[in-house]
This record gives sequence, C-alpha cells and structure tokens, in this order.
Amino acid sequence: MKRIILTSLLFFCFAELNAAEGGPCKDYGECDQFKPALNDIASLQSGASVFLNYCYGCHSLKFSRWNRVAADLEIPESLFFENLVFDSTIKPGDLMVGSMPSDSANWFGVEPPDLTLVTRYKGDDWVYSYLRAYYEDSSKVYGVNNLVYPGTAMPNVLEKLQGNQILSCKDVPVLASNGGEKRDEYGNTITKQKCGYLKVKDGTGELSKEEFDSMIYDLTNFLVYVGEPARADRERIGWYVVFFFIIFTALSALLYREYAKDYH
Amino acid sequence: MSEMASKVFNWVNTRLPIVNTFERHLSKHPVPKKVNFWYLFGALASVVLIIQIVTGIWLIMPYSNTEEGAFASIEYIMRDVDYGWVIRYMHTTGASMFFAVVYMHMFRGLLYGSYQKPRELVWIFGCTIYLVMMAEGFLGYVLPYGQMSYWGAQVIISLFGAIPYIGESLELWVRGDYYISGITVSRFFALHVVALPLVLIALVFLHLVALHEVGAGNPEGVDIEKHVDDDGVPLDSIPFFPYKVLNALVGIGVFMTVFAIIMFFFPEGGGYFIEMANFQEANPLVTPEHIAPVWYYAPYYTMLRAIPDPLGGLIIMGAAVAIFFVVPWLDQSKVASIRYKGIYSKIAIALFGISFLTLGYLGTVSVTETRKLISIICTVMYFAFFLLMPIYTKFEKTLEVPERL
Repeated sequence: MKRIILTSLLFFCFAELNAAEGGPCKDYGECDQFKPALNDIASLQSGASVFLNYCYGCHSLKFSRWNRVAADLEIPESLFFENLVFDSTIKPGDLMVGSMPSDSANWFGVEPPDLTLVTRYKGDDWVYSYLRAYYEDSSKVYGVNNLVYPGTAMPNVLEKLQGNQILSCKDVPVLASNGGEKRDEYGNTITKQKCGYLKVKDGTGELSKEEFDSMIYDLTNFLVYVGEPARADRERIGWYVVFFFIIFTALSALLYREYAKDYH
Repeated sequence: MSEMASKVFNWVNTRLPIVNTFERHLSKHPVPKKVNFWYLFGALASVVLIIQIVTGIWLIMPYSNTEEGAFASIEYIMRDVDYGWVIRYMHTTGASMFFAVVYMHMFRGLLYGSYQKPRELVWIFGCTIYLVMMAEGFLGYVLPYGQMSYWGAQVIISLFGAIPYIGESLELWVRGDYYISGITVSRFFALHVVALPLVLIALVFLHLVALHEVGAGNPEGVDIEKHVDDDGVPLDSIPFFPYKVLNALVGIGVFMTVFAIIMFFFPEGGGYFIEMANFQEANPLVTPEHIAPVWYYAPYYTMLRAIPDPLGGLIIMGAAVAIFFVVPWLDQSKVASIRYKGIYSKIAIALFGISFLTLGYLGTVSVTETRKLISIICTVMYFAFFLLMPIYTKFEKTLEVPERL
C-alpha cells in the first residue's frame, strides 16, 4: 500500500512537472504538435533546399558543416555544391556560417539569429507553428505580424508561396455551462463572432494550404536534423544498447541465483 | 608458464598486499545476507562516479575553456567528434543520475538509521561527498556556457554577495571579474576537472574505508556482529565477493538499462536534465524568461526564494544541507530501522519525503503567491523533521528488534 501511495505521488509530481506554464506559442494558443521524421530523407532534402533558398540568405547554421549535411541527406557532393551552395569559394568541410555582413543588425533591428539549434532551444513545435502564423498587420514595418511571436523582426519571407494570410473572424457556437452547444427555442445553434483565426486570402499564394504546410514540415524537419545530426543514429543505436543491458541483466540475475543457493 | 606467473605474482605479493587486501575487503569481507533494493544505490553511485570520470576525461580533450570557444566546442563534440555525442550525453545523463542515486542512497540512510553508532563517520563522509557533488555539478553546468549556464551562475555567485561585509569582494574573488566571463569559465573548468574530483575521490575512499571498518547495516537494524562463528565471522553474513558483487551486478544491469533509455531516447530529460535555454549561447544582454536550476538543486532553490531576505535565504539554504551532518546526534531512538521505530518517526519521514519532493517541484516553476506559501510550509516541514527528531525519537514507543537477521 505504502508503495502504491509513493509511486502515485511520484507520478503525480512528474505529471505536474510536465504541465506547461503559459503557452510558448503566445497568441497562437497551443503550439501545433510536430513529430520529426529523421529517416525520411526526401523530406530532409526538400527541407534543406527550402532553407538554403529562402533562409540561408540571412540565417547561418554555424555549427554545421556543408559536407556533413550533404552526406547525411544522401545528396552526392557534386550535385549538392552545384545546386544548393551559391558561393563558389565555399569548401566542403566549411561551417555554414551564413552570408550576412556583420552590420546586418542595422537592417532588421536585430541580427538574424543562427538557427543551428533553434529547434532545441525553442522546440520543434514552436518553429513549426511560428513559420505558419504570420498575418497581415499594417501597423508593422514589414506589414506582417506573428501570432506565435508577436512583434517579430522577421518579414514573412515565404509570403509569395503561402499567400496573404489575415486574421479573420468566424461564427462559433456558444457553449452552455454543461459544455454542450446553446440552442434557441427553435433548436438552432446560437453562435457568436470570434476573431483571431488565421486565413489565407484565396488565390494569393503559389501553394495550397496543404502544400505549404508540408513544405514547412520539411523545413522544420531539416532544422530538427541540423539541431542534432546524430539523433537518428542515437535512436537507432539506443535499441541495441538497451537490448544489450536487458540481456546483461538477465544473465547476471541467473548467475546470482545460482550463487545465492549457497546460503539460502 | 603458469609456474612463472605464480612466481611473479608471489614476488609482487610479498611487496604489495594484494591477497590480503582482496581477502580483507572482498572475498572475506562480511556483509549482511539479507538487505533490500535500497542497499543497491551505493554501488550504483560508484558506477556513476566511474562513468563521470571516464567520460569527463574524454570531454576535456575537445572542450575549449574560453569564453568564445566553450559553447562552440560543445557543438563540435556533438557533431564533429566521432561518437562525441555518446560521451557528452553519458556525462549529462550521468550528472542527473548521480544525484538521483545519491538522493535514494541518503534516503535509505534516513529510513534505516544507517548513520547510527558506530556509522557516524561513514554518514559524515557521505554528507561531505554530497556537498562537494553539489559544487561539482554547479561548476560543470557553467562549462557549456549556454544561457542557463550563464544566468544560473549569475544567480548562484550573487548569493555570495548576500554575506555581510565581505560579500561583494567575495563575489568578485569567486568570479575573477566584474561579471561572468572567460576568466570565470576557465577557473570553473580547473575546479571541475581537477580540484573537486580529487577531493571527491578522496572522500569516497574515506567513506568506503570507514564503512569497511564498521561493516554495512541492514534494513532490520540488527547488529550482526553479536552472533559470530568460531572464526569471528557474523552468522548472518555472506562474503562480499562473489555474492554481494553478483547481487549488485543485477542492480547495475537494471540501472544501466534505465540509463541507456534516458541517454539514447530522452537525453534532455524533458528539459530537466539539459534545459532548453542552454542550447542558446550565453548572452549577458538577454535574461531568459524563467531562470530555473537543474532539478537536483530545485528543493534548495525553492527555500532560497521562499525567504524574502537574501541573507536569510542563504542561511536557510545552507542550513538545509548542513543539518544532514548532525543527524546521528539528533536521532535519540533505541532502534535504527524505520520498521521498529514508532508512529511519529514514520509520519515524520513521510512528511519529510513529501516536503522534499514538493520543494523540488516548486523550484522548477515560476513563483505565485500560493506557491510561495506552500514553499514556506514545506520548508518548515523539512526542518521540523530534523529539529524535532530528538523529541519524537526519544519519546515514541518502539518495537523489539529481533536478535538475528
């Protein structure tokens, strides 16, 4: 009984520990869940291509090396350097230090941060939500704002692909105190207007919503990879190590049982 | 050849006590034959100590102890050093597991009265090890020079500033600079990899020598020395080697399985073993939204925050650790084990456990008014366990301890 109480107490404590305090995604509400697929090489390749085409102009990956990315993403080095590296002075083993001059802080108010570890200090959910949470806001310098990161200094670089996203309002059912939908005397659902929904204006983007989401998925997936290039290896090797220790434990238990017969 | 080998062995053995030491501390060293899983954590702590030393040595090789290079060198280890990530995650997981194991080991001591006569010195060496470990853990946490390294160090070093008169100069002396800088990193590096490990190893040695002199305890609190055979060997004992070693091996197997699951699948421990903010390079100009210590300091951090006065908080925090040292003299009970102690001891230790866990939880979250109140209540409960011990252990009704194990 005591053990049950203790265990449940511990469990309770850890469940409490995991409870998030105030959302990291701010006005966006709960961050969208991101589940990385580090063995999906095609997704990583497309993510790398998006990054190098749209992000690398401003953001470095200064702890990562060009040839490591090419090798891990199974892109032949010649192909990689011909199509994705836009500076012929770069050598394969160089760090991806970016191409911004040092005075870039003057352009945006802040220096564009290095993104090697962004998914590790912000979280992959955050990155995935952030890149999809831009909306038009004429009060801002670049005409856009972000629900996940209000007042962000970064313009919406992917606007051409995504289209013009705006905050829109829609009618939502009014909920009664018991959780059900409130209805009027004729049985029609009572609704109220609620605002703050992200909506892309029809026909303004080159990609459909699904295509855009999938592109951001690949980009985030790539950033998760860059955050810890050994992660796929780690999770693969981990199974062998755990399996080894399970066998080790079983064998030592058998050996111990034999020896324990001496004094029992 | 075997004759040659035994000749060499004999030559060495007459000059170095190999057989003697082996017999005295392993093959003929008597340990209680019946203990429970709580008695495994000492062995596990030594396993983690070895892991920390070995991985530590390998981490020193590529690590750069400079302000500019520290953070990048950690990423270099994680990316460019072959299997560097294995070594680094072993070390970070090891740090957390060290504390987890030592907390269990200490709680075992409180449960079964392991500190009672004649094991007071074993307990005191143990408490000193814990104290040094806390310093060692803190110094190590600063080395990756991430945001939490920087701001955590800022908070901890500023504690010295709360000491009257000498506080500010002491703070400056510890940092070696007016703010945390490369000077601080390189001196913390020296202390973390040379000074404190030496002290730690010496203390562990003393802890074990003292333990082997008085013998290990057991969950019944029975003195096994009372009933011995003709050779003076306790009847309720078994030789440490091979029996106890094999027993520990099973425990080590289970422990290493858990260790491997954490380090290969959850190395950040949900942000509690490696905090997310520490993946961002130290930046003196940007304070993180929420500065939280790593989980193993959290209970003491909560006490510090619960007291509005910095000096008072520092004193309470210090006292909370220091009070462990005098436990052997606070416990006035005739029996050692919780199994034979009275109801008050049982309630007291349960409340102590709950308050410690609650304080730990509160140290990882932000402060609210309610949480502050709970922190104060738990701090009082924590100290009440120790300070009231002479009273409740003396006057409660205890059960008869059996003669044999």
